[in-house]
Amino acid sequence: MSQNVIELKELSLGYNKTLYSEISASAAKGELISVIGPNGAGKSTLLKSIAGLISTMSGTIDIFGKDLKRYSAKSLASILSFVPAQSTRAHNLSLYDMVATGSYNRTNWLGQIPESEEALINGIMERLCISHLRDTDSSKLSDGEYQRASIARSLVQNSGIILLDEPTAFLDIENKAIITKLLHDISVNEGKTIIFSTHDLPLAIKMCDKIWIMGHYGFIEGSPEELIKKGAFDKIFKDSGLRFNPQALTLI
Amino acid sequence: MSQKKRHFTKYLIISAAFVLFAVMDILLGSVLIPFKDVFGAISGSDVPDFVNNIVWNFRIPKALTAMLAGVALSVSGLQMQTLFRNPLAEPYILGISAGAGFGVALFVMGFSAAGIDISGTVLSKFGIAGAGWLGALGVTMLIMLVSERLRDNLSILIFGIMLGSVLSALISLLQYLSDSSALKVFVLWTLGSFSGIESGELWILFALVMTGFAISIYNIKDLNTLLTGETYARSLGVNLKHTRMRILAATTLLAGSVTAFCGPIGFIGIAVPHISRMIFRNANHKILIPASAILGAAIMLFTDTLAQLPGQSAVVPINTVSAIIGVPVIIVIILKSRIS
Repeated sequence: MSQNVIELKELSLGYNKTLYSEISASAAKGELISVIGPNGAGKSTLLKSIAGLISTMSGTIDIFGKDLKRYSAKSLASILSFVPAQSTRAHNLSLYDMVATGSYNRTNWLGQIPESEEALINGIMERLCISHLRDTDSSKLSDGEYQRASIARSLVQNSGIILLDEPTAFLDIENKAIITKLLHDISVNEGKTIIFSTHDLPLAIKMCDKIWIMGHYGFIEGSPEELIKKGAFDKIFKDSGLRFNPQALTLI
Repeated sequence: MSQKKRHFTKYLIISAAFVLFAVMDILLGSVLIPFKDVFGAISGSDVPDFVNNIVWNFRIPKALTAMLAGVALSVSGLQMQTLFRNPLAEPYILGISAGAGFGVALFVMGFSAAGIDISGTVLSKFGIAGAGWLGALGVTMLIMLVSERLRDNLSILIFGIMLGSVLSALISLLQYLSDSSALKVFVLWTLGSFSGIESGELWILFALVMTGFAISIYNIKDLNTLLTGETYARSLGVNLKHTRMRILAATTLLAGSVTAFCGPIGFIGIAVPHISRMIFRNANHKILIPASAILGAAIMLFTDTLAQLPGQSAVVPINTVSAIIGVPVIIVIILKSRIS
């Protein structure tokens, strides 16, 4: 069997009618993958489908060689975590309590966090440089800090796969780079497979192992170099009159 | 650790307030009794029979009912606010009290229409409570049914509000068609009261509220995951359908039962969870559920003491006092959140 962690086979997405079809792609252990495409192309739908949050029209999603449909919600949560876009902020929820919800499946019926788990949570907060904000109201964090807290929460969930829906959407240039670098480091150092949607083409090209392009003319998968060589970025966005500039790694 | 200590101190303070208001509620009443006689009646000393009677058959059951009502309304309000992600959500907004009201109205006016006078009979009391409870249960079942189809909670909230309006309209129609004695029974129920609950009823109310409270404790873990949105909760493996059912079941047992026995009591369900959040500055339900329960009981006891107008024979309806106490708190909360 292949060592692919995720395998999408002829996947069609949509609610009542097909929104996007013919998606075939794969993700291996430790790969950092970005999903690129215009607004409304279905990036969010694709990520939610892989997370088992919405059903697909046709095709299959295999996670660790097993059909997604055969996972229970609980067993899926132990191998896959999802960071939603613009996640709702709760007033007065401390950063620690927010991050600790990641251990939902390992706490007792009352949500009591075991001591070993507490060490794990503290370690992750330390690594993501948010320990000093432990008791801060999470709704008052800056966008960058909040995104780091969301990533910390998904690390606490301790899954091999992390999916993030536009994690850098509301961040300034500096934080965009910090978060993308953080995702890169997690995939390299911890061997986690990370897939995230983004509009930041230059960062995606520089940092990711693979890019999934969801354009108007179809789905293309490949490493950044391959895609540049193939002229994939030009093809995907040709309707908008933009051309890809390989020096600037962006569309002009 | 320091946060734990701070929480402990805050719990101590609200518990002290609860004890103080409970004592006050038992000491004060329409009939002025010297405090030492009241304590004497409680400790079993030799006191006049009428004192024993007032303390044991009237004031203590009334205080216990107020306490249960405070716990029930606050804890169910808190869960509704989290589930519907709406600071103004509470069982009344969802139409549960209108459901109870409709049940009671049908029962009271139904007998009246059939020409049977039930006022003052055992059937009247248990019948009213039973009909109210069934009405509340009916509305909750309907909301559960709809929530199977409607995915987002805002739609369910709107459905609840609409359902409440329709039921209120039907109640008005029944009131219009009913005779004056039945109307009086119904109106008295709508004013809310903790008195007149006998020990048999009190035990039933106690059992229902405690069951609801136990389910609420079990809900803590899932409620915390709902704080940052349903999508995230689902990705954690939370079965939203089950969670919603459990929250609605707890609400019917808590708020539905209290409404059935004591009449609709507004504003406590909205105000108390907010006061708890303000005091504890925490959104974790492990902190908020016990805090809302203690504060709810304390505030309800205080409300009841005021409603009794100590030393006066007149009694102000609970709903009037709860509005006078609750509404300013809600306005302050809204203004504060807008200004900050």
